Amino acid sequence: MDPWLVVLLQVAPFVLLLLGTYGIGSALERRHFRLLRARELRSRNLPVATLREPLPGWQVEDCALVTGSCVISLDYFKRFVAGLRLLVGGRIASYETLLDRARREAILRMKESAHAAGYRAVIGVRLETSQIAQATRQGGTAGVEVLAWGTALRLRRS
Amino acid sequence: MSFEPRLPRDDVNVSRTHPLVEAGWLILGAAVAGLLLALLAFAATELVSRWLPADLEARWFGGLFESFVGDETSEEPARAEAARALLARLGAHWPENPYTFHLGVLDDSALNAFALPGGTIVVTRGLLEAAESENELAFVLGHELGHFAARDHLRAIGRGLILSLVMRSMVGAGAGDAVPALSAELASRGFARDQERDADAFALGLVAAEYGHVAGADDFFGRLPDADAGLGARAAAWFATHPVSESRIAALHDLARRRGYPTDGPVAVLSQ
Amino acid sequence: MILSNTETVPGRTIREFYGVVSGSTVRAKHIGRDIMAGLKNIVGGELKGYTELLKEARQEAVDRMIQQAQSVGANAVVNVRFSTSNITQGAAELFAYGTAVRVE
Repeated sequence: MDPWLVVLLQVAPFVLLLLGTYGIGSALERRHFRLLRARELRSRNLPVATLREPLPGWQVEDCALVTGSCVISLDYFKRFVAGLRLLVGGRIASYETLLDRARREAILRMKESAHAAGYRAVIGVRLETSQIAQATRQGGTAGVEVLAWGTALRLRRS
Repeated sequence: MSFEPRLPRDDVNVSRTHPLVEAGWLILGAAVAGLLLALLAFAATELVSRWLPADLEARWFGGLFESFVGDETSEEPARAEAARALLARLGAHWPENPYTFHLGVLDDSALNAFALPGGTIVVTRGLLEAAESENELAFVLGHELGHFAARDHLRAIGRGLILSLVMRSMVGAGAGDAVPALSAELASRGFARDQERDADAFALGLVAAEYGHVAGADDFFGRLPDADAGLGARAAAWFATHPVSESRIAALHDLARRRGYPTDGPVAVLSQ
Repeated sequence: MILSNTETVPGRTIREFYGVVSGSTVRAKHIGRDIMAGLKNIVGGELKGYTELLKEARQEAVDRMIQQAQSVGANAVVNVRFSTSNITQGAAELFAYGTAVRVE
């Protein structure tokens, strides 16, 4: 048997795994981004701000702390590319999309939970990111959590 | 102050490069860097293994392997003494020999022989028992002497260390599992085959000097128990340190012809 | 684009606000910096390499936040906050967020 064939047989499963996870991962990602955009359009009428005070002219009836959080995990392809990045440095594009999704999802969940409870604005919004799960013995990250919290206001219609 | 519902652009916090393209460049870069590093390391070990004087080597490593050589009154096959005497005679045909050689016998029924730094040659009990003529055993011992002549054992240690270091750092960064380990295998085995050929040539020279001919030297390989034909052997050839027996025998015959060694002569019987 | 981490832009009034905008970037250090940092660990002192790296990354995060603010038609971002998180060993996320507003 040609020795290069043996090499190919050993490398092929790894390459197939990479391409497979890339395909599935990027399809799931695109779908999530589409859904996020749709939900953002639907909920855009609920004001969200990092401001600490309600707008002048708002009459606040009630307020409550609301939170929204999301943990998203990495697929194998993203982890592999990130691992290579750690050798040469630079921007890790695979993590950036991950964090963008998690952040937008967390903010949306916060807005949606505020809306469901009858609140009409959220102020004092804060965001926090943390690494949640460890994927391998070498400490690659498996999941990232983004937490968004703020004060939801019930406004008196004036 | 009033609220205007407007959605910001959502492509700001994500990169525009296609992930596969980025991955491709990274893999290429990592492969090139790894290759350069390995080549540099090999060159360094080459220099060191040539420069290290033999007596220094014997002093550093000699003590490590005494467990193989030590107790000569322990249960050793009767041929061990004959093998030692043979080793001494063969060593005499190598004029620049800087080593004092010791022979150790490993209690293992498999057929194997290897050279350890400092001048220790280890043969297995199985090998001693399977040898049918003195010429064969002389060739095997001569082959190990050839490794010492080329300082192969030092090279092997150096390369092994550096390769495992490089591969560990790459795998540690999450660069995948199969590929680095495999290329390390291939690299070390590839070099080893050249070393084996050179050691064979050296051994042939010693046998010719000792007996005046090379008959019987390669009988051993014809009897090696592993399957010599078929897919299994050929695939394993790449990953085994020794070249496949057929090609090895052919290479030996070729060398004997080119150097003009007589291929006929009395084959000495090994004492029991 | 005016940036401020106070509630309003001092000396100006806010006319409209558009919502939360954010900019983030994930940066990895490379092996060279790692080795230098390891050496510095022995003697102590500022890790200039890392300081530079994180400064650049933070600037990029702020630039992205400004891009988002521009896309909604804002001319200022108030109540800006920063956050640095360890995403994985050797990589950190630099994150800046605030409220996009129009001031006069």
